[in-house]
Amino acid sequence: MAANLELERVKERNGLRGFSNLFRKENRAWWGTRRWWINALLWTVLLGGLTAIMLFASGEEISEATEAEITQAGGLLAYILSLGLNVFFQFGIPVLAIGTVILAQDLIIGEKQSGVAEWLLSKPVTRRAYVLAKVAANALAVFALLVGLPSVVAYGLLSLRMGAPFPLMPFLSATGIMAVHTLFYLTLTLMLGTIFNSRGPILGIALGSVLGGGMLGNLVKPLLYVTPWMLPKVAVLTATGQAITAEMGIASLVATALWSVVFIFVAFTKFEKMEC
Amino acid sequence: MDEKNGIVIETHGLSKSFGQVQALRGVDLRVPRHSIFGFLGPNGAGKTTLMKVLLGLSRPTAGSGTIFGHDILTESVAIRERIGYLPQQPRFIEHMTARENLVFAAKFFFSGPQAKIQQRCDEMLELAGLADKADRPIKGFSGGEKQRLGIALAQVNYPDLLILDEPASALDPLGRQAVLDVMARLRKYTTIFYSTHILDDVQRVSDTVAILNRGELVASGPIEQILNGKDGVVYTVALKGAPSGLGERLAELPWVAHTAVAPRNGTSIWQVSVSNEAAAEKNLLRYVLADPAVTVIEFSRKKYELEEIFIEIVKGDDDGC
Repeated sequence: MAANLELERVKERNGLRGFSNLFRKENRAWWGTRRWWINALLWTVLLGGLTAIMLFASGEEISEATEAEITQAGGLLAYILSLGLNVFFQFGIPVLAIGTVILAQDLIIGEKQSGVAEWLLSKPVTRRAYVLAKVAANALAVFALLVGLPSVVAYGLLSLRMGAPFPLMPFLSATGIMAVHTLFYLTLTLMLGTIFNSRGPILGIALGSVLGGGMLGNLVKPLLYVTPWMLPKVAVLTATGQAITAEMGIASLVATALWSVVFIFVAFTKFEKMEC
Repeated sequence: MDEKNGIVIETHGLSKSFGQVQALRGVDLRVPRHSIFGFLGPNGAGKTTLMKVLLGLSRPTAGSGTIFGHDILTESVAIRERIGYLPQQPRFIEHMTARENLVFAAKFFFSGPQAKIQQRCDEMLELAGLADKADRPIKGFSGGEKQRLGIALAQVNYPDLLILDEPASALDPLGRQAVLDVMARLRKYTTIFYSTHILDDVQRVSDTVAILNRGELVASGPIEQILNGKDGVVYTVALKGAPSGLGERLAELPWVAHTAVAPRNGTSIWQVSVSNEAAAEKNLLRYVLADPAVTVIEFSRKKYELEEIFIEIVKGDDDGC
């Protein structure tokens, strides 16, 4: 048609046709609605608040601590800081995983069930672009709002309690572990959304892993080295600057990152075969 | 690559099964360029399944197909570049307004200029009669407004082919008329392939029709041809009096295929199926009038309604199963 002459056609690689527009749409669902500030507020208040309580109002825990524990930590201040780090990483990492699962469980299945996925896939869009846009935009939001912002607040609180900047590298490394752990659950949930047509199995499997994984790992020790179940503890050790063994930290970290890649590929494959 | 011989959609033996259920059975379809192709069939006939297979939303279990000469399996993205699709129940991005949905849909096809994209979206809002509601949230829209927005969304990319699944089913008579008018206006720009169960609409706007039953294409062709019925051209002659041997004499004519007679209020109604329309038009009445014992009180070419044909074809097909 003549009117087409004035409009410029989208030029995008065939394999990822539609990605840019879908990525914008996913970003908009986070940043163009109240979703972003609700999550920013929730996770910052929850994790920052609990960390602050440990750092500034943990009189009872300190009075219950033995002299040996305080000495082992390297003094009273170091002991208090370790309490804060324990709450932020050991408690915070699984909590963020649960939050991520809840936020992501509806992303694909909701669009499958409502017919939005069918409508989107009737456009010049590859299914790979659809899945990748979900992963990329949601990873960005989760990293920024669930991991990044609370981490900045926690770092500020730790520095405030120390009276000097908290060692940055150990804290950043631990935050990186937190991000890898969160990515694992984001990609797992999205992959499950491409496999199942109801929310039950998605929530069951993903939350089962978060809540029951540690117990299973204690029964079958080798599982701890190929799953994310040990990462909360590894993050605390990393943040406190303690040495971690290669098999304990690196193996589970690399395995978790690899699992995320595998989940994305499985999601591609399953979604490619999906019938709308 | 483009369509061959003015055929936009072409399928060969297209089949689709869901477990034991055979949704499509060897469908051979040809949709001519710039036609308004009405796709009919009872509920569960496989109309939506066929549309989804054509769009690459579902994979056929057998057979092949092309749209604009592109293979529906391997070149689906290139096909969808030139298609507008309205699902049976239009869906939108709920947190966006009507205008935002249109801009979003347009950006799958066009990268700029932004002003031109906005202009195209405004045109579509105007066409759908939604200009005054363009910036309102979708969730407050009525069913008819959603349907009209769906049609606007399907057209935002100046498609060469519009695939509409029951486009007017949720609309009131005025809304339906508006949709049919839009379809008629679009004929010169695009090919429209649409499914419906409203036979009156098909008869009003379609030039080509296909009927699908139990996943099988049972009739397809120009609407005039379909409206002729399976008996071809039929003349109705109402006679008063007692014709002697008229049936035998008609049967001897080379262009008469079949005759049937039924009494009605003291007259006899003759249905004469002919194989040569021109010969019948010229000679049939003359031939009947030659019998001095009868008076012709009515002579007309039988006009079928699509509904009549549809029921006849579908029922006949079901009886044959």
